[in-house]
This record gives sequence, structure tokens and C-alpha cells, in this order.
Amino acid sequence: MRLRTFRGGIYPPAMKGTSQRPIVDLPAPAHVVIPMQQHVGTTCSPLVKVGDTVKIGQKIGQCTTFISAPIHASISGKVKSIGAVDVANGNKVLAITIENDFQNTLVEGIAPPPPLEELSPAEIAELVREAGIVGMGGAGFPTSVKLTPPADVKIDMIIINAVECEPYLTCDQMIIIEEVNYMISGIRAIMKALGLDHACIGIKINMEGAIDRLHEIILEEKGIDIVPLVPKYPQGEERQLIYAVTGKEVPSGALPQDIGIAVFNAATAWSIGHLLADGLPLTERVITVGGAVKEEGNYRIKVGTTVDQVIEMVGGYTDTPKSIIVGGPMTGFGLYHTNIPLTKQNNGVIVLTEEHVKEEEMTECIHCGQCVQVCPARIMPNRIAKLVKKADVDGLEKFNVLDCRDCAACAYVCPAKIPLLHYMKIGKNYVNEERAKNRA
Amino acid sequence: MKNKYLKTLTDGVVTENPLFRLVLGTCPALAVSSAVANGFWMGLMVIFVLTFSNMLISALRNFIPDKIRIPCYIVIIATFVTIVDLLMAAYMHEMHKTLGIFIPLIVVNCIILARAESFASKNSILHSAVDGIGMGLGFMAALMIVATFREVLGNGTFFNIRVLPAGFPVAKVMVEAPGAFITLGLVLGLINLITARSKTA
Amino acid sequence: MEENKLIVLSAPHFKSPLTTKKIMFTVILALIPAAAASVVFFGIKALLHILISVVAAVATEFVVQKLLKKKINITDGSAILTGLLMGMNLPAGAPLWIGAVGSIFAIAVVKEAFGGLGQNFMNPALAARAMLLAAWPSQMVSWVTPIDAIATATPLAIAKAGVPDTATLPLLWDMFIGFVGGSLGETSALALMIGGIYLIYKEIIDYRIPLSFLGTVFVLATIFGVDGINSGLFHLLGGGVMLGAIFMATDYVTSPSTAKGRWIYGIGCGLITILIRFWGGYPEGVSFAILLMNICAPLIENYTLPTKFGKVAKVK
Repeated sequence: MRLRTFRGGIYPPAMKGTSQRPIVDLPAPAHVVIPMQQHVGTTCSPLVKVGDTVKIGQKIGQCTTFISAPIHASISGKVKSIGAVDVANGNKVLAITIENDFQNTLVEGIAPPPPLEELSPAEIAELVREAGIVGMGGAGFPTSVKLTPPADVKIDMIIINAVECEPYLTCDQMIIIEEVNYMISGIRAIMKALGLDHACIGIKINMEGAIDRLHEIILEEKGIDIVPLVPKYPQGEERQLIYAVTGKEVPSGALPQDIGIAVFNAATAWSIGHLLADGLPLTERVITVGGAVKEEGNYRIKVGTTVDQVIEMVGGYTDTPKSIIVGGPMTGFGLYHTNIPLTKQNNGVIVLTEEHVKEEEMTECIHCGQCVQVCPARIMPNRIAKLVKKADVDGLEKFNVLDCRDCAACAYVCPAKIPLLHYMKIGKNYVNEERAKNRA
Repeated sequence: MKNKYLKTLTDGVVTENPLFRLVLGTCPALAVSSAVANGFWMGLMVIFVLTFSNMLISALRNFIPDKIRIPCYIVIIATFVTIVDLLMAAYMHEMHKTLGIFIPLIVVNCIILARAESFASKNSILHSAVDGIGMGLGFMAALMIVATFREVLGNGTFFNIRVLPAGFPVAKVMVEAPGAFITLGLVLGLINLITARSKTA
Repeated sequence: MEENKLIVLSAPHFKSPLTTKKIMFTVILALIPAAAASVVFFGIKALLHILISVVAAVATEFVVQKLLKKKINITDGSAILTGLLMGMNLPAGAPLWIGAVGSIFAIAVVKEAFGGLGQNFMNPALAARAMLLAAWPSQMVSWVTPIDAIATATPLAIAKAGVPDTATLPLLWDMFIGFVGGSLGETSALALMIGGIYLIYKEIIDYRIPLSFLGTVFVLATIFGVDGINSGLFHLLGGGVMLGAIFMATDYVTSPSTAKGRWIYGIGCGLITILIRFWGGYPEGVSFAILLMNICAPLIENYTLPTKFGKVAKVK
């Protein structure tokens, strides 16, 4: 079996100590904080007022624009407050805080939808949209939008991203091992919605247990293929995954749908599967809690549980935390404090100690070219960093800074410890600002 | 009024030194700075040519048509260069041979043309003469500074007088072309460093 | 929650353990076999040459950084490496002060005057060697034989003299081990190759530069060489090709950072080396070849920019 991959990339330590830890349901917390934006797109407006009683699955946030996803209550109880809170990426977002009454009352009218055979593609997309399902790998792009491509776009390939290439994270792996049936039924729904009878699952070859589990199930499932991939970072990045699976490069500046490909995260498919089974909107997800906590593992949490609640529920820290990351250690966000709600997009909470968080001395760039060798977008981070220092916008355009995927492979390998990703992000802002200015 | 002339003079030697501050006339500076004596005589010739050409151009500044001023300047400069060339050939034949092509090349020395264009064509005769002397002195001083490093390190002598012991392993590269570039570059860098420091201090 | 400050950094929160310092010391470690071989072949004088060069380089770095009020970073190993390479580029018969002068020039003029680590446009040790060769030509060719230290010529100089007499030429085996005249660090191809393989294995240097450099030298020498002497193998083992290709041309700062650029750079180095050796004035051309290609490196890089991912005609 020839393993497929892409050019460049790195092999960071996997740190997947939680890879065989079964999914544990964490108890519902005393209160949840539900941000009104858990997706790419417009922020939702609250549908409830302070003092209202809400039930599990009740829609509490809605937005009328196409690219958005409604938001539902994940516990039952009273709305305590509505106001701006800090979220993982450092922004302040309007959020609804709900106090738990521990009655676990479901909202009325929740019932399993009709079987898949009886649903039309448009109905599937509508179900997914109403359930508030978004890309659960981190990007948070509303899934229903991908399920209803514009009329001039013909999707002819579906790829399920089960790569999970970030260190520490194992929640997708455990979903496959324990709840693969939900994922498969989700994939079937996606296939039906897009009118295709075929889908590929991209998975890393070293995903213990998950690959075997998939092979068992795939024997009975027609039209679903497994594509084993080299365990390299960032193999799970959308464009790298498409290249590895199909050999096609998504043109720079274009979307995967422009070449007829749609990519869905494994956890997204899994949540669609759950939706089909019980009709409950997306109010729970599985995350990996890793690093210096007492009980590392994969946990099912209510959307809106805060980081400090999660850490308390898994037994607290084992060592003084130096950095707490939401997401994976390569692209996740460092937190200033732990009173941060976890959303549909967040797939992990990683507690790093001194061992990994070293404030290393930065030296001058020694022009070693490692960043150029590993860059999956095949651009030159070393040159871009220098252009950013000079704020040379034309140069940044010429060196294709906008093609950067924020994968951080460059900053990972840099021996001079230059925060290259940071420079890349600044560079992108420069170019985007300039473009906005020119348009105005 | 005296202060004006004094300032022009010191400008030429120090603050606007043609070689170190304006970086003009680097070609002859690189070529003839292999010995202090060469630098001295080259400097002297430049003072002569620069002073007289400045004076004459200043005197004629209202008569020279603007469109053909450069050829006019060249003719005037070439006259004086021919004078020194012949004088040197007659009375200092050895030095004339050493400096060779670089004497006629004074005609196209950037310093002289630059001063004619930017100073003599706008100022009085006396003021232009002072500027010529100042710039010429500055050039001579700069040449001799560069030449000192090169001659002492490359040949062990200063003004042809032996200063380093006979067996000292002198660096031949210093009197060759690369030595000229290295020395000029380092001296320029040093001067920039010092001025940058004194500005911030 | 404990009262304890969290460190918030831009992603990634994981970084590879490789640092500039580690790279420098790994290269130094890789040079140890060749340095040890030079001490074995040329005796205590070789050790003195190397030590003096290293001490001078580090001291110069310290003094210059102090004078320029920059951060003192002599511990990053780059000055030690420059000094070590300087010492290994000297002939055993040279006077001891010459390495110190070379190191001072390398660090003060070639490295620090252009902005210090990462800013030099030429390999400091090689530029210093070129300067020394121009300044003190007789001292810089005072080759001696290994062990008994009798004045001799390098194999390349013998070949250059054009006597097609195989008897005067050293055996290829001796050249491989290092029993020939030459600069301290360049004689033992074996020791250099051990270091080179270690560096490639550790992924410190890119195999592309040494491979294309050595390959070009071998192929061209085989094509243009006279039989008996000037064979491909002879030119591979003779002179500074090994030292240059493995340790000097691969200097990060002065080589292109693109993969394609590195092939071109290595081939260019090999080409100029052979041009100088066969048709130039000097018997050895590695230093000048690398210096010339150092200057071309930014240009090569600009012409070999990687094609960005997805650079195809837009679909639709």
C-alpha cells in the first residue's frame, strides 16, 4: 500500500498519550457560557432575555444571513446574563450565560428525523442548518453551506478529514473507534445531500485502532474508501489533504469546491450522524484534554462549558501550568485566563508546563532555509519575515504571503526561534488592509 | 563676511569632505592611495585644478549658456589639467610616471565637476576659490589618510621612510587594488559610525 | 484557579528542539575528526594554529560587539566555528600569527561590519583565507609533508606543474587518508567525509550542495583530465574540495535557501573550481569558487523561488 502525502511538512512529537482513552461524558456544569458566534460568518442575535427559562436544544441565537449557523442551549435552566465575554481567540463576543437547573428537560418537538432514504438533499441541508452544525475541526465553517453548493459548482468528490495531525489531539480517533456508526451515517447523509455515491476518508496510517475499526466497517459499506496517509503535519490542512488524496492542487485563491471537491471533518460527519439518530441539535462535542492534568483523556462536553470547569472536572493540574491552549499546540490559541467558554469549533484543551513552554532566545535569521523546505504552501517564510519588518506590501504580495495556511510548520522548525507564523499573520494583514484601501 | 569663507573652508575639509562625506572622486582615490606621496601630489594637483577652474567658471558664470554648460566646464577644467600634466611631466617626471593616466583623468573627477555645477556657477569668484581650496585640501587629507594605512601595512613605509622593521611580514594585498577597497570601505564605515555616535550622544 | 501568570505566545506552542547554538556546535563536532587528523599528521603546530584562530575569532567577536554596544553572543558558537574553519584552512608551515590576523579579519570585517550573525555576504573564514592569500602569498603556500614536516607541494600544485609523471604524484589512497601536503583541515578526505555524513544524517546540512559540488568536480575532471593525473577521483580527493563542499559551501547564510537554488549553487561551485584548477592561475580554486558563488547566492535564490502550491491556471 503506497502511502500518499504532500511535499514539505514536519514531524512534531505526537504526544498522543490519550489515543486509547475511551470517551467519558463529563457532567453538565453549574452554568454554561454560550457565545453567539461559534462559526465563520455573522454573529447571531440572542432569541432569549435575561431571566428566561431555556431547555436543552432550544434555539437561543439566530442569524438570517446565509453563512451562519444557529446556536442552541446545551443545558436547561435560567438565562443569567447576556453580555460580551472573552473567547479563545482573544476576541470579545456576545454570549448567553445559562444557570443549570439540572432538570435536563429537552425542548419540545425533538424527535428523530425520518430515515435518510426518505429525505431529499435540500431537506438534509436544512436539517443540518437548523441543528447548527459547523466544521468541527477548528475552522467552524457552517456545514449546511457546503452541502448546498452554488448552482454553477458541481461537487464530484467528498473527502472526510480524519487526519487529526496536531499533536495531543485524539478526539477524532476515539470517535472513530467508539462511534464509527454515527460517522458513517453522517457520511451517507453528506453523500446523499451532494448527490454522490462515493466518499474517501483520509486518515493517518498510525491512528491505532481507528484504522482497523474503519476497515472492519468499510467491508460492509459500499462507496466509502479509506486513504491511508503519511503521519505528517499539516496533513489535515484542507489543501494538503486534497492534494494527498487526489493529486490535485486547489488553485491559489480558489476554494476546494471550485475543483469539485468538498471536505468535511470526521467530527462533523459524526455530529450529523447523531442528528439523524435523535434529532437533537449540536449541543455536545468530544474534546481531548491533554498535558498536565490529572486525568488526560477524551471527554464529551456540553457546548459552552468553560476551560476552568473542564479542568476542575478532570481533576485539576498536576503541575504549574505555563500555557493553556485551546485547540492543538500547533495552531491553537494561548489563553490569558481560563474563564473561556469552549465552542463547537474547539477540539482540545492542552495544558503545557515549563517542559514545553520555554522562552527561548531569538537569534538573527541564519538563513538555514528550513522554513522554506517544510512550508506546505511552498512560500518563503524567511523572506516574508524580512519584508514584514520593512512593511513592504508589494514585496509581500510578490512572495505570496496570502497563500500561508497558518500551519506554523515554519515557526516550529526555525532554529533561530523567530516567531515566523506571527510575521506571516502580520504580513497578511498588511496585504489585506492595502487591498481594502485600494477597493475603497 | 569672513566667517562665511572660513565655514566654506572647513566644510570642504571636514563636514563635507569630498571623499569621506560626499563619496566623490573615489576612482582616483582608490587608484593612487597606495603610497602617501602619491596621495600628496595627487591632492596638490586637485587643489590647483579645482581652485582655478572654480574661479574661472565663477567669473564666466553669467556668460556660459545653460544648455551647454557641462561642455564648457569640461573645456575649462581640461585646460588646467593640461597645465598640471605638462608641469608634472617637466619637473616631477618620476611622480608623473607613477600617477600616469590618473592625471589626465582629473578632468572627469567628479569632485571638480560637482563643485563647478553646484558651487562655482552660483557664487562669487573669491568664495568659489575658497571652496576650491577647501575641497581640494579635504580630498588631499582623505587620500593621505587612506594612503597611510595602505603604505604602512602594505609596504612598511610612510612617505617612503621605513617605519616597520625590514623583516616585518607586510600584507601585500594592502597596496594592491583589493586593499584600496577594503581600506576605503573600513575608513568610511568608521567615520559613519563616529558621526552616528556623536549625533546620538 | 491558582494565581499564576500564563504565558501567551503566538502559535505554535510547540517548537523543535533545534536551535542556532545547537546547529553551530553540531558542525563543530563534525569538524573534530578532520581537526584531529590534522593534529595527527602535522603535529602540535596544527593544534596551535587551530587554537590561536579560535581564540582570536571569539575575542574579536567579543570586542567588536562590546564596541558596537550590541548584545554579546559569543556563546552561540558561530565565532568558534569561524575560527575553527580559519585554522583548518592554513598550511602547517605558516607562521602562527597568520591565523589570528585571519580570524580578526573574518569576524571584524566580513561578519560584524556587515551586521553580524546572518548578515555576512561571504563566508567569513573563506574571505579571510582569500585575503591572507593575497596579503602573504609566500606564507600561505608553505605546505609541509605530514609527520616529518619537510617543505613540499600539494598534489594539485604538482599536477598543475604539468609533469605527467605518475611517480611524483601521491597515491590516491594517501590522499584519501590524508598523507599529503595541504591545508591543515583539507588533507584527510576520510575524516571530512565522516563529519559530512554525520551532518547530513543529522539534517543539519542539505545533501544537495555537497552532492552537486562534488559531483560536478568529479564529472568535469573526468572529462577534461589527462589520464594518470587529473582524474576525477584525484580532483575529488585533492585540495580543499571536500572541506569546501561539506563545511564551507553549506554555510547557511551565504547559500540559497531554495532547493533548486542549492543545486545550481553547488554546480556553480564545482564548475568554477575546475575552471580555476585547469585553466586558471592558481592550482586550487575552491575558496574562490565558493566566494564567487556566495556573492551570487541571493541572485540564484531570487531566480529559483519555489512555485507556490496551487499555482495553476484558475479552473472555471
